[in-house]
Amino acid sequence: MTPEELYEILNKYAHQQGIELNKDKEFTLDIIRGLLKNEERYGYRSCPCRLATGIKERDEDIICPCKYRDEDIKEYGSCYCYLYVSKEWNEGKIPHVVVPERRPLRR
Amino acid sequence: MRKITLFALSTCPVCKKVKTFLDEHNIPCEIIEVDTLDSGEQWFMTKELQKYNPQATYPTLVICDVIKGYDPDLLKKKLLSSNS
Repeated sequence: MTPEELYEILNKYAHQQGIELNKDKEFTLDIIRGLLKNEERYGYRSCPCRLATGIKERDEDIICPCKYRDEDIKEYGSCYCYLYVSKEWNEGKIPHVVVPERRPLRR
Repeated sequence: MRKITLFALSTCPVCKKVKTFLDEHNIPCEIIEVDTLDSGEQWFMTKELQKYNPQATYPTLVICDVIKGYDPDLLKKKLLSSNS
C-alpha cells in the first residue's frame, strides 16, 4: 500500500469518527510513511513517534490508533504524534501544544 | 565545547522538524536514531536517554556544556548569560 492510499483510507476513517487528519498533508504523509515502515518491520502499524519493541503484546497500546488517542484529542486537540486532530485544532482555534506522553512508564 | 545530542526515531516527523531546525541554524549535533539500532544498542541508548528524560520520549534534545578548570569569564558567559 502506498502512503497516499493509506492517507485516503485513514481520512475516511477519521471523518467517520468525528475527527480529522492533520491538515498539513506533507507532515501527515510523513507519519503515514512511518506507520508503513513499522508495519514492514514489525507486522503492525505502531506509532512512529514511539519506540516499539517488536513484540505485539507489549506494543498493543501504541498500535495506531493508540489507546491514548481519544483522551489526548479531548484534552489537547491532537493525538501524541499529531496524526489525528479535532476540527478545532485544524482550524487553529485551540493552541497547538506538545502533547505529553500518557503511556505509563515502562521498566 | 557544547555537546548537543538528539535522540530521535527515523520514523518520527516531529524528530525531523527538530533536525531541520538544527540544520537551518547550522547547529552541529549528534543524531541517534534509536529505532535503527540493534536491540542491545536500543536498550543501552534508552538507558542513556532516561538519564535526561525518564519517559524516554522522542525527540529529546540534550544540550550539555562541559567546563574544565576555573575560568571566571567563561563561567559568567555560560552560567550568567541568557544567551549561553
